[in-house]
Amino acid sequence: MLDSLITGLSTVLQWESLLAIIFGVAWGTLGGMIPGINATIAMALLLPFTWSMDPVIAIMMLGGVYCGGEYGGSIPAVLIGTPGTNAAACTVYDGYELHKQGKTGLGLYTSLNSSVIGGIFSAICLILVAVPLAGVALAFGPAEYFALAFLGLSMICSLGEKNVFKGILAGFFGILLATVGFDPIAGVPRFTFGFMSMTEGFNMVPLMMGLYAISEMFKQAQEVMAGETFNLKVKTDTTFPKWSEIKRLFPFNIFGSIIGVIVGVMPGAGATVASFLGYSWAKRLSKNPDSFGKGNPAGVAVPESANNGATGGAMVPLLALGIPGSNSTAIMLSALMIHNVTPGPMLFTKSPEIPYSLFVSMLFANIFMFFVGYLFIKFAIKVTSISKQALVAVIIALVFTGVYAYSLEIFSVAVALAFGLIGMILRRFEIPHTASVLGFVLGFIMEANLRRALIVSEGSMGGAFFNSTLSSILLIAAFASIALSIARGVISSRKSKTSAAA
Amino acid sequence: MSTKMRTYLVIFMTFVLLVTIGTGCAAPKETPQPAPTPAPAPVAAETPKPTYPEKEVEVVYHSSAGSGGDIFLRTMGKAVDKNLGKAWVVNNMPGASGANAWNYSAKAKPDGYTLLGISSTIITSPILNEMPVSYKDFEPVAMMFTDPMVLFVPADSKLTSIKDLVDTAKAKPGKVKFAGGTPGELGFVAGRELMKAAGFEIALVPFEGGGDAAVTVLGGHLDGGIGEYAEIASNVEAGKLRIIGSFNKMPLSPDIQTVAEAGYPEVKVEKLRGVLAPKGTPKEVIDIIAEAMKKALDDPDFKKYYEAGNLIPSFKAGDDFRKLMDEQDAQIRAAVGK
Repeated sequence: MLDSLITGLSTVLQWESLLAIIFGVAWGTLGGMIPGINATIAMALLLPFTWSMDPVIAIMMLGGVYCGGEYGGSIPAVLIGTPGTNAAACTVYDGYELHKQGKTGLGLYTSLNSSVIGGIFSAICLILVAVPLAGVALAFGPAEYFALAFLGLSMICSLGEKNVFKGILAGFFGILLATVGFDPIAGVPRFTFGFMSMTEGFNMVPLMMGLYAISEMFKQAQEVMAGETFNLKVKTDTTFPKWSEIKRLFPFNIFGSIIGVIVGVMPGAGATVASFLGYSWAKRLSKNPDSFGKGNPAGVAVPESANNGATGGAMVPLLALGIPGSNSTAIMLSALMIHNVTPGPMLFTKSPEIPYSLFVSMLFANIFMFFVGYLFIKFAIKVTSISKQALVAVIIALVFTGVYAYSLEIFSVAVALAFGLIGMILRRFEIPHTASVLGFVLGFIMEANLRRALIVSEGSMGGAFFNSTLSSILLIAAFASIALSIARGVISSRKSKTSAAA
Repeated sequence: MSTKMRTYLVIFMTFVLLVTIGTGCAAPKETPQPAPTPAPAPVAAETPKPTYPEKEVEVVYHSSAGSGGDIFLRTMGKAVDKNLGKAWVVNNMPGASGANAWNYSAKAKPDGYTLLGISSTIITSPILNEMPVSYKDFEPVAMMFTDPMVLFVPADSKLTSIKDLVDTAKAKPGKVKFAGGTPGELGFVAGRELMKAAGFEIALVPFEGGGDAAVTVLGGHLDGGIGEYAEIASNVEAGKLRIIGSFNKMPLSPDIQTVAEAGYPEVKVEKLRGVLAPKGTPKEVIDIIAEAMKKALDDPDFKKYYEAGNLIPSFKAGDDFRKLMDEQDAQIRAAVGK
């Protein structure tokens, strides 16, 4: 392994490799910053240019785009309350709140530091234990996936700010949305109302952009008409946070990174699930859960470390098993396939320079990301001094362009618009739309795997879920979490009733 | 303006936009597919034959750039260009389970400058999603390849042959569990056809995409799987998965027993790759294209590509190709009961 590592290092330490990585990171960060363009789209746009490149250089560049993209999404999340990528949705909670409190620098740089730490942590994991890590992906069969998704969903309760039951309601709404489209188990289209475009279900990008970006822009547009100015009333502090502040967040970064790496390894889960799980677990385990959502820097640190931690994890099934676990890694797969390089278990013996160069390059990509991100932040901060009218218009245009570019369907623009409206309604009734997104993301994983597990167990619920230790543990944790939340909800609503009566 | 008024205004404007988009999207669906008139044929026939192609040819495909099928089409395009003299330009129209690409190309001018790259999806998806468009709205140009379908098991499995599988499954009906495609997908159809022919029963667990199915089998959660060879090849090579039989004879791996060799020649499943043209495209033009495609099979670069993926060259043009699609259509309809 040491030999391969040295080969990898020598491949990366050539000027064309380094240039490719820096370019990749910058391109990815830029793409991530634009709402509607995520890491996958940024990679897809670059893919045709890799066809004439050396496969090693191509894959290192795409790896850089992937890392940069997962980071870039957090910049607009902090500055304008709109996540640039799906996986940055959780960052909005505390990041945007920090910005509104004038602690813009703390929000932006915490997200940068956390992303870099998460990325470096996962690159080191890759270098040390890539092949054994593949075991995590293999340990998860249908029953275990269901149990994991169920545990994730049980966290919804903790996302409901004041009212646990509103969180649960929003979660069920998300699960309902996930049932739209072709039913892969029974083979029939569901809730498509005769629209062919709906047979593929709702796409994640237009849905998220509608709920977050469009509804936020509508809200801001209303404020503009009410004569409010964009400039914050408080003075913004854009300086780099103090070392003591960074040090304090370090355990949160490691916590997020570990979740990111593990969830990233599982095919089908990915960065979005990782950041949501990280955020809700951190909130639950925290001594002071109420501070989350009110500008706690830990609420930025955990999801950002988690979504960048997932970048390394996602490489594991691709390289060790030859199976892409996400859209982004599917693009890396096609970049390799075009050069007749087939990823898989044999890659490590046949051409170890490819996986090890990629691993080492991801380490470098994350170090470069710190500097690239620093520059981009300096530039992006100026956004806040642009007139609000112009900014809202530009963002709406970017969102619709990005959404269209993703699917090449005007239908997606309609989906984004419709969910913009739904997002407004949810805001009006203070129903946490993040819980809906979590329900949407996990609902499909949960449903398909529940039905698969039941086929395997021949219809027996007990046989499906309590035959495996892993799924038993996950399910028990989920039930405990639900029971606790409901108890908390009942107690707090009784309290508010008594206080209202008094 | 009051806050309330502003809110209503935003909601109203959004609805207007949505309705506009909604009607805009729905319009093509409402217009019934015009029956292909024989008129275009003589018009096109006036053009002297040797002039085709005078410009680039657009090849529409239903999945996004960089997908497996797209790379295939682009690689084949390079080889076809050499014989045709003009470039094939792939136009990706993803979405709507394929309907976007197929509606667009079915309505294109039938002059040979718009073609459609296809896989078996064009037979499966219209049936399952009840689409107003199907492969019957096109003229067959040529089928190029079959994607080999195989039965695979974890390397430590006791099953070693198709006969083993049949015997074990007969002894314990429904207890053997295999990963397969979603209903209507060819892996699923293949499993059903084999069960019908050999008279046994296994549980088929549906997966979208062969990757997830392969991981589940690798992890030992299922007894085996049915899928495309290409998706499991690297794990077979590494000795983690074993192929116990295939549905198509693979010329590069002649040792792998086929279902026909195991005694079930009636099981015919061919996951196809080919090209169609809009209905009414003149026969002379189709012949020129089919000829160029046939010659492409001998192109050394292209050959290297398709042999690496273990694609089985199975060139079929005209009515042979149509007949195969008709058979597959009947097979899938029987499998999903539609």
